[in-house]
Amino acid sequence: MSDLHWLTAAEATRAFAARKLSPVELMTAALARIERLDPKLHAFIQLDADAAMDAARAAEAEITKGRVRGPLHGVPVGIKDIIDVAGLPTTCHSKILVDNVAKADSVVVAKLRQAGAIVVGKLSTHEFAIGGPSFDLPFPPARNPWNPDHHPGGSSSGSGAGVSAGLFPLALGTDTGGSVRNPASCCGIVGLKPTYGLVSRRGVFPLSFTLDHIGPMTRTVADNALLLDAIAGHDPADPGSAPSATRYFGRMLDRGVRDLRIGFVRHFHEIDKPAHPEVTAALEDTARVLQAEGAEVRTVTLPSLNEFAAVNRVILCSEAWSIHAPWLRERPGDYGQLARQRLLPGAFMNAGDYVGAQRRRAQMIAAVEDAFRDCDVLICASSMDPASRIEDAAETSRTYPRQARTPFNVTGHPAVAMMSGLSSNGLPLSVQFVGRYFDDATVLRVAAAYERGTEWHKKRPPIG
Amino acid sequence: MDKELIAKLAQAAGLTKALAEFPADVTMAAEQALGNQGGIAYPTDPAAEPWPPMRAGSGV
Repeated sequence: MSDLHWLTAAEATRAFAARKLSPVELMTAALARIERLDPKLHAFIQLDADAAMDAARAAEAEITKGRVRGPLHGVPVGIKDIIDVAGLPTTCHSKILVDNVAKADSVVVAKLRQAGAIVVGKLSTHEFAIGGPSFDLPFPPARNPWNPDHHPGGSSSGSGAGVSAGLFPLALGTDTGGSVRNPASCCGIVGLKPTYGLVSRRGVFPLSFTLDHIGPMTRTVADNALLLDAIAGHDPADPGSAPSATRYFGRMLDRGVRDLRIGFVRHFHEIDKPAHPEVTAALEDTARVLQAEGAEVRTVTLPSLNEFAAVNRVILCSEAWSIHAPWLRERPGDYGQLARQRLLPGAFMNAGDYVGAQRRRAQMIAAVEDAFRDCDVLICASSMDPASRIEDAAETSRTYPRQARTPFNVTGHPAVAMMSGLSSNGLPLSVQFVGRYFDDATVLRVAAAYERGTEWHKKRPPIG
Repeated sequence: MDKELIAKLAQAAGLTKALAEFPADVTMAAEQALGNQGGIAYPTDPAAEPWPPMRAGSGV
């Protein structure tokens, strides 16, 4: 088999079962590609090559004996460096935790191991999943495989860059204000923020307790469903975990969108934060593709993006301050400048601000739920612009908040971002599909229909 | 915004060190926090409850 690095997890496991490929061959190809490309991309904070190869050998032996551990047996996966992997550092890309080594696996990593996946290492992030891209941290920021002069998005930057560049087919990211879906948008891959409570957060360094989600990042929708199957499930020790029995998120991927009612949230990109014309054109194309596949598309109105962003900011800053206050008081110089600037506002918010934002949040949730009375899925923008140049701090600061992802951290609805085109300068454009609570399978169903109708997922970054 | 007020609020929050080492960051943070309040249509109904809802026994 050739081009092993572009195999999806689903293709790799089928090839393992047919004895056309072994986990050792796949891991060897992955490690060679990482060695060649990561010096340009900086997706990794720590590569765990020896352990990954040992695990690949063990997987090969087990599969040869017919003992398949799970649906991801032998498949490499990268882990964002705020998620604990036993024995590896969890630095959160920060000097504050540069010597911190995880004693145990997070729940999601334990579940991945049960499914047979092999952890290849820990991946770059914005500092504490909020401060980046930064050049004043112990590790360099990840770069975009479509053009390494550009930002890969964040905060799950290494996850997005690594999946997009073919360093590994699967990665975990986290999403508090859009941090799975932003790198998915910038890097042209599929990133899902599942329903709040569907995936355990235990063993993941928190940013904001009521906004944090862990999500799968992949090159295809089918792989995204496979990865979500592996990590979803109730965890009684996570207070935010929902007792949901939802499983088999890929069960409707082939059903198409005929007769689905899709609400198009146009005001997000037309009025609230007017999008780059190429983003707007790609969004209209997306609606046309789904209509051509048999969906009914209608315009819907939600609260404004600016208000969603304000509510998200008050809640995030307040909750993050309660986590970071001791370090911000004692070690402010050990944060990078961006993280320090983004975490300090919480010190100046009061209880009334926080509770008021949570009360408005309940009304915003009701508004989105109201939209779902007449729609099965929503379409809206993800990023309003293609990725900025990574060293252009002013442009990054201008474009980074121009997005429509935070509404669904505020409400907790499942939302997937994926590629919807290429800009004139060769960077991915993106769209977002949003679903009802715990109906992540329908979100992925629409994403799969769109994927089949456009084939943007077959485009590869020109990185070799 | 009044720099003396920011300094007092920062000291009350225990940010004396940050104020000394990164005064511009502290000022920016205070201005951001206080400038955010106008962007939210806070509920006028006194009975409007916050999210997440309180649930008896959860987390106990």
